[in-house]
Amino acid sequence: MQLIINGLVIGSIIALTAIGLSMIYKTLNFVNFAHGDFVAFAAYIAFFVNTSLGAHLAPAFLISILATILLGVFMEKVVWLPMRRKNATRTTLIIISIGLALVLRNILIFVWGGGTKNYNIPVRQGFSFFGATITPNQILVIITAFLLMFLLHYLLSRTKIGKAMRALSDNIDLARISGIDVDKVVLWTWVIGLGLAATGGVLYGLVTAIRPSMGWYLLLPMFAAIILGGIGNPYGTIAGGMIIGLSQELSTAVLPTEYKFAVSFVVMTAVLLVKPEGIFGGAK
Amino acid sequence: MIEYIDMILPYLTTILLVSSIYAIFALGLNLEWGFTGLINFGHVAFLAIGAYTTVMLNMSGYSLILSVIAGIALAGFSGFLLGIPTLRLREDYLAIVTIGFSEVLRFILLNEEWLTRGSFGIHGFERPFQDVIPYQYYNIFLLLLFVAILGIIYFSLEKLIHSPYGRVLKSIREDESVPSALGKNVFSYKLQSLIIGSAIAGLAGAMLAFYLQYINPFTFKPIETFNAWIIVILGGTASNKGTVVGALILWTFFSGTRFIEEYVPFESHQMGAFRMIIIGLLLMLLMMHKPEGIFGEREELALSD
Repeated sequence: MQLIINGLVIGSIIALTAIGLSMIYKTLNFVNFAHGDFVAFAAYIAFFVNTSLGAHLAPAFLISILATILLGVFMEKVVWLPMRRKNATRTTLIIISIGLALVLRNILIFVWGGGTKNYNIPVRQGFSFFGATITPNQILVIITAFLLMFLLHYLLSRTKIGKAMRALSDNIDLARISGIDVDKVVLWTWVIGLGLAATGGVLYGLVTAIRPSMGWYLLLPMFAAIILGGIGNPYGTIAGGMIIGLSQELSTAVLPTEYKFAVSFVVMTAVLLVKPEGIFGGAK
Repeated sequence: MIEYIDMILPYLTTILLVSSIYAIFALGLNLEWGFTGLINFGHVAFLAIGAYTTVMLNMSGYSLILSVIAGIALAGFSGFLLGIPTLRLREDYLAIVTIGFSEVLRFILLNEEWLTRGSFGIHGFERPFQDVIPYQYYNIFLLLLFVAILGIIYFSLEKLIHSPYGRVLKSIREDESVPSALGKNVFSYKLQSLIIGSAIAGLAGAMLAFYLQYINPFTFKPIETFNAWIIVILGGTASNKGTVVGALILWTFFSGTRFIEEYVPFESHQMGAFRMIIIGLLLMLLMMHKPEGIFGEREELALSD
């Protein structure tokens, strides 16, 4: 039972962060290898505002999410937009993104060191629940994740910008000749994708220690969730995230904890081998 | 003057030794990325497989040459296994799976202590001709040996890429649909490129072990993969000459930063991070502004549509 609770918590975080990765992948047509490091960046900014500036956790979270989005918008302006103008190939963009990942992660190490950090918050008693414990923080993570996912669903299916985003991810050229302002929609994709990633990051810091590699080690589970759920399919990604989170935690019952990370690798490779379009469909 | 040479010579030997190992390691990547267009972000895994296989077999009593061959073969075979689920799909998938593989492999090396001695690492294995060569000349001998191996690999690769086979690889990099329309089995060519590239990395791994005399899982961090990427892109994608020069430039730069260390107010973890920031920035800036590198030919590469 405890493992299932932990799995749901981690699964919510994987789902939340992976949706952003999947949206960017589908719209801009490349894998952003720096996505995980944006997650870690958000956790560190929240930590900094919370401990060094002494702010309460809620404003710290808001500031951190805004800062992460700003960084993403900045990268869009100086890197991704100029590269799109040059018609850079997908492989070029992938290599740039891994360079960005190295830069971001090592800036965190440079400033805050390689050790683990924690928010300055009182430790609260967990509730007993069918013989397992669930902490208020864990409940907060699950509730926030589900709220945001419903919000995203509303955004994608009901609003104009959401519809434009979906049109863009289906066919960017078709969207452009239909009169959609592509650059603006791409910018919104970054804002929403990284906003979700940042939220996932600050929440992840609540349930685990903050360390520079936290986002990097989330990258593989995120990919596994996306591939499992089908690329560009947000609902599949949510399901995929939950499955990966649960299987990672449940694996610790039989395997050493260190191999959690290997579980997502095995699941991902197996899906690629058997059904590369994902269990819930999506683009190839 | 003599004293001066005595100081500078071992230093130069070290740079050249490390550069020759990394040149071979990066030549493997250049075959995959430069000539075939495969994105392998887990190249270090094959370096580790080569090193660990060689060393562990040798420690259990097999002859050195047999151990090295087994290391090369196992690295190539791992490339084969990773290629099967990924090379039929878009190029992103190989990138994801290789990077995952290199991390998982490092966890295994770290945790399966019965096999790899975990973080203690392995030392006390044989080095080539160690009984014949006097100790004070050993590094010089090793350098000559490594340069000879580098020469063999270099000229074999040059011959390979200028053959009809090499032209098929390049056409895959430029546009898969063309060789495929001409009846070439693109998947099989990509797989072979990955196998050869990984086997070359395995050889570099064995050489690295001989040079270091001690290996542990921390020798094979992901950064080694990106060092190889920098070497290839800096020197010039799809240029073997550029790759060799790139290796030399990178290691001269690294040993240079060691002197600077005394003059900058960074702590040791900061120096490491600083070096990584430079590598990452260099990777981004090169890909953005000079993707063909020093020796690459811009006309030859399809860097944009």
